[in-house]
Amino acid sequence: MALERPHSLRRRLLGFIMTAIVLAAAIQAFTAWRSAVQQADEMFDYHLQQMAHALRGGLPLAPPSLESNGSEEYQIQIWGADGVQLFRSAPVPLPPRAVLGFSDARMHGVHYRVYTVQTPFQTIQIAQNLDARQARARALALRATLPMAVIAPLLMLLAWWGISRSLAPLERARAEVALRAADDLAPLAGEGLPDEVRPLVDEINLLFGRLDQAFTAQKSFVSNAAHELRSPLTALKLQVQALERADDEGARAVAVGRLQQGIDRAIRLMQQLLVLARQQAEAPAGTLPALALAPLARQAITDALPQAGERCIDLGLDIAGAEADLPLVRGDTDALLILLRNLLDNALKYSPEQGRVDVVLAPGRIEVHDSGPGIAPAERERVFERFYRSADAAAPGSGLGLPIARAIAERHGATLSLATSARLGGTCATLVFATPSSS
Amino acid sequence: MRLLLVEDDTMIGETVLDVLRAERFAVDWVRDGEMADQALRTERYDLVLLDLGLPRRDGLEVLRALRARKDTVPVLIVTARDALDQRVAGLDAGADDYVLKPYELDELLARIRALIRRSAGRADPVVRYEGLELNPVTHEATKDGQPVSLSAREWAVLEALMSRPGVVLSRAQLEEKLYSWKDDISSNAIEVYIHGLRKKLGAGVIQNVRGLGYLMPKPIDGT
Repeated sequence: MALERPHSLRRRLLGFIMTAIVLAAAIQAFTAWRSAVQQADEMFDYHLQQMAHALRGGLPLAPPSLESNGSEEYQIQIWGADGVQLFRSAPVPLPPRAVLGFSDARMHGVHYRVYTVQTPFQTIQIAQNLDARQARARALALRATLPMAVIAPLLMLLAWWGISRSLAPLERARAEVALRAADDLAPLAGEGLPDEVRPLVDEINLLFGRLDQAFTAQKSFVSNAAHELRSPLTALKLQVQALERADDEGARAVAVGRLQQGIDRAIRLMQQLLVLARQQAEAPAGTLPALALAPLARQAITDALPQAGERCIDLGLDIAGAEADLPLVRGDTDALLILLRNLLDNALKYSPEQGRVDVVLAPGRIEVHDSGPGIAPAERERVFERFYRSADAAAPGSGLGLPIARAIAERHGATLSLATSARLGGTCATLVFATPSSS
Repeated sequence: MRLLLVEDDTMIGETVLDVLRAERFAVDWVRDGEMADQALRTERYDLVLLDLGLPRRDGLEVLRALRARKDTVPVLIVTARDALDQRVAGLDAGADDYVLKPYELDELLARIRALIRRSAGRADPVVRYEGLELNPVTHEATKDGQPVSLSAREWAVLEALMSRPGVVLSRAQLEEKLYSWKDDISSNAIEVYIHGLRKKLGAGVIQNVRGLGYLMPKPIDGT
């Protein structure tokens, strides 16, 4: 439901801080206003009181010149002890004998604040026009809030500058990434970045490193593949030209046969490249169903029988102990079948005519033994490199069979290694599953 | 003409071998750098077709070793290594020409002929001697403008003798030009071909120097 809104850290920070400043300024101004008004109120009340007490001392000979200055802010009324009004400053009478002390009164639409004090001889009443009073209070309060009005924009400016400056390294990093070419995976510069962002950049750099590795591997694979495809294609081209040049039936038949072999070889190489690419792209086989190894081995051996028969090689299966005791392993049947077939293909290719190839099953383990010449220890790892062909390799091949087998083994969390076969004297390829799952 | 073909790919090797043999070359085929080096140390060839990506020993190393021995046999590199620096490295190591896989057979054959011609110091592809003409492109032989039909072996013997007029070639040297390792050589094979040639071209064309071998005398007018 959440809509993907673009959120800029800078904009958010600015938004929060600006709002905070405005709120703080508003609250500050409001309380300053309130307290200024209140203080003014108390002050004016105090004035009223003081004036009243000053008048109590005796009626001034000349009544206060309140009337004369034209202002009607203050009104004074004085009564004698007998209730006779002795003095009145305004034409409008105040409510007579109001309550003692402070009170509010309203006369002819005007609000008054009234203070009444009584002595044994007279009653003095002073009233102040509330509107005028409030106008003064407001003027005072406004002056109290003025500094805030100046400081708030200054604070905002400062916050904007600070945030922009603090985020500048991020912007630099962003610009650096934005300018990158697709294949430029060099690490980003980490200098000057804040501690909060640095781990992110470090992680990105690590990721770049891994990507770079994968990228390089992929590039070398493609270039290897292109190079390896050149030989079969060259052969095809030559074979077609040889066919064109053949001037008798016999030569033509030979050329056609070779052309067909050449096409088969190119197709096989393509298929193997595809299998390899697929196996490397597949997810790890951890969640695959459990399967039994013996039927798998039987299937692979059945598939390889014609090849063994061509060269009279004795191909067989040997299970250590009872078949029922073999634990199941988790795996992809098709992939494991490809793996086994590749191992068998190698074993059969390098075994001499009338030789022997054994598939041996043990718990969580498959071995393929052959009676061939074996592989020199120095080459036992190199033969797993793509397109690597042993210098002594007599049999034709794409150089992809073992890399494919290893890719499949790795996907299954299994290890695939070559050793000397103690059984038959040739090579022994051993596949060991890491954790045999219980049935 | 005897060629050494160095090629590790079976399918390419088989096809090129057949085509070269059909073009009347005697061809030895080796599949790795070590064997190539050995063959070049022990046999004499008129031209080497050298692949670079070889098992056991890289083609460039074989070439450098060859040139270090001051062997001037023409070398034509035939490889899939197409980068500029690789081609430059190949030529700088002493190759006479560089052909990229995949290539056209006709072009490969033309380059082979050109290299052989150049190594014999000739600009003209046609080999001439007195009224005789051998055209290696069309495999036509003529005597005074009249076509003469020659077998592949007769052609090879005649070409070897015509290419170096005045030089005596021993029977072993002629055999070397004619045969690759796989051929069975009968002891009087060369005599048989010389006999055939004399019958077709006239008895005086090829002279016999007893105990030394055969030659075609240098023409008097010096052409």
